[in-house]
Amino acid sequence: MSDVQTPARRFSITPGDFAREYGVLTIIVILMVGLSLISDSFLTARNLLNIVNQSAPLAIIACALTLVIIGGGFDLSTGAIFGVASVAAGWIAVHVDPYTAIIAGPLIGFALGTLNGAIITGFGVHSFLVTLATSLVYRGIAILITGGALIPVRIAEFSWIGRGRIGMVNIAVVVLIIFMVIFMVLLNRTTFGRRVFAVGGNEEAAILSGIRTNLIKIVTFSLSGMAAGLAGVIAVSRISMASPQAGVGMEFEAIAAVILGGTSIMGGSGAIWRSVAGVLLMALIGNGFNILNVNPFFKDLTTGVIIVVAVALAASGRRSR
Amino acid sequence: MKTALTAAILSSALAAPLAAQAEDYNIAFLAASSQNGFNQAIYAGIEEAAAKYDNVKTQIFDGEFSATAQFSQVEDIAAGGKFDAIIITPNDTVGIATALEEAIKAGVKVGTTLFPVGPELSNMEPQVPGLTVTVASDPVVGATAQADAVVDYCADKDPCKVVVLIGQLIYPFDNLRNDTYKKILGEHDNIEIVATGEGNYSPQTSMVAMQDILQAHPDIDVVLSNADQHLMGAEIAIEDAGLDMSELYTIGGGLNQIAVDAIKAGTWSGTLAQFPKSEGEAALDAVVKALNGETVPTWIDEYSLRQTPKIVTKEWLDANPDFEPEWQG
Repeated sequence: MSDVQTPARRFSITPGDFAREYGVLTIIVILMVGLSLISDSFLTARNLLNIVNQSAPLAIIACALTLVIIGGGFDLSTGAIFGVASVAAGWIAVHVDPYTAIIAGPLIGFALGTLNGAIITGFGVHSFLVTLATSLVYRGIAILITGGALIPVRIAEFSWIGRGRIGMVNIAVVVLIIFMVIFMVLLNRTTFGRRVFAVGGNEEAAILSGIRTNLIKIVTFSLSGMAAGLAGVIAVSRISMASPQAGVGMEFEAIAAVILGGTSIMGGSGAIWRSVAGVLLMALIGNGFNILNVNPFFKDLTTGVIIVVAVALAASGRRSR
Repeated sequence: MKTALTAAILSSALAAPLAAQAEDYNIAFLAASSQNGFNQAIYAGIEEAAAKYDNVKTQIFDGEFSATAQFSQVEDIAAGGKFDAIIITPNDTVGIATALEEAIKAGVKVGTTLFPVGPELSNMEPQVPGLTVTVASDPVVGATAQADAVVDYCADKDPCKVVVLIGQLIYPFDNLRNDTYKKILGEHDNIEIVATGEGNYSPQTSMVAMQDILQAHPDIDVVLSNADQHLMGAEIAIEDAGLDMSELYTIGGGLNQIAVDAIKAGTWSGTLAQFPKSEGEAALDAVVKALNGETVPTWIDEYSLRQTPKIVTKEWLDANPDFEPEWQG
């Protein structure tokens, strides 16, 4: 499940293709082998499940953001939507009903994402600028809801989605897997997905082909907002605490993960699974630092170097095509 | 008619000094971030104290947790001439000094809360010439009280395994606290700091750090943190790991409502007391007195503002059931 490929390429994978397609996986494997050799605590089922569980909210956002970027857009408001959905869900869980809160988070995200898409297409403004502006508005709404304070949400009917388990596996991980599969099918097996690639690859050609490009763009932003809302609900549920500061900087982590996964920032190509792999790669670095008790000063440095290496690998893959 | 005119002139003459006294004082509160609960509690104290005066108006500015934004705010206030005084909770305790110095030269009274302004975080006396008042406590004092509490707990344990959750080591005040922890705990052979995680004042970040640390060190005895927000996240990770939080020694910092509830319930062991609302009240009173020409102390110790021990425990809260913390969390 990856980019649309020509039949001939399926039978002859060049080193460039391999680097672009599997560069992030290669680095993950190298890191996992290294961490396994250094620490006995790393290669345990519990730790690996922890990493995936910790990554679930960001990975859900990255899945949907991949669609936006493939479609030629950019969403800088996902962190703020995550924040609004978090505090709204927390407030609703405490004051109205926990189950309503779980549903409300993604719906609020969907509405805010649709608003993004409508402004972008309605006014013809670049998505970068619009989502930068709306992120400030949405963050302001999050502050207004809470007055800047934390909202404790210790309610079992609410916390199951973030903390519950099926066997050893967290429900949040199950949600991530379902979400990821739906988005992979949506992108690679539906007309909508093909149109997203077309819009991001060449918008003029897509218009001439009769594709309603504005509608496609709006839908990608709506889905991105919904994903941020769902991620917000999971995060609040997990820590039993809603914070208006939640999700600050998350949009950049999500974008970094998508780019790490080799999705072209120019639009037109990319893959959902690679974005999730990008999230897991960043989580692995953090996990390694915490387990090995390495000075946190080196964490950003290491993360930055690994991102550069992964992006360079993906870029070399594209050049060699 | 003549009598009436004389009376009017006399009453005007008498009223003149009163009118001068009733001149409005505009006081700006430069919050590190207006979206932060601790800063909002400081402003609540400022507003409450201002309400006692007829002529004091206050306004909050959002420092956005940005040293640059706050620097510009000080410059704008000094240039604007609208404000008679600034109360600041600094984002950058060193860099802001030059801007405040210019503001003081422009005739603006300046008070600082939470931290002193200047290169020495443990020096509460004015490091900026003309600074009116510092309402704060030395971070080393608080960190020492916390570390001493851990030493007491660990007295009969060998080894006593400690996890430190600190805000961010790039912050000078957090670095100073961390160094204090390491120095005091390092003096005891039975105590071992097995891991140091950064919580970034976020329950979510703290939870992730604690989950990872527990993978490598599932047999910890103590979680020592400078912030209650860190313990909120750590608690989730500890429970998820199948450990009983109440059987560990866990100490945070800030004394918010969430911490008080957890300590009363016996889940957390204690927290370092902090009083943001009282800090705001004391700072406002000091700058208003200074504007009125009165002499005020250059340093008001935070711990002189409320009658609590530095480390608040269940025993103390049980003995003082009416105690109310000054911020929600």
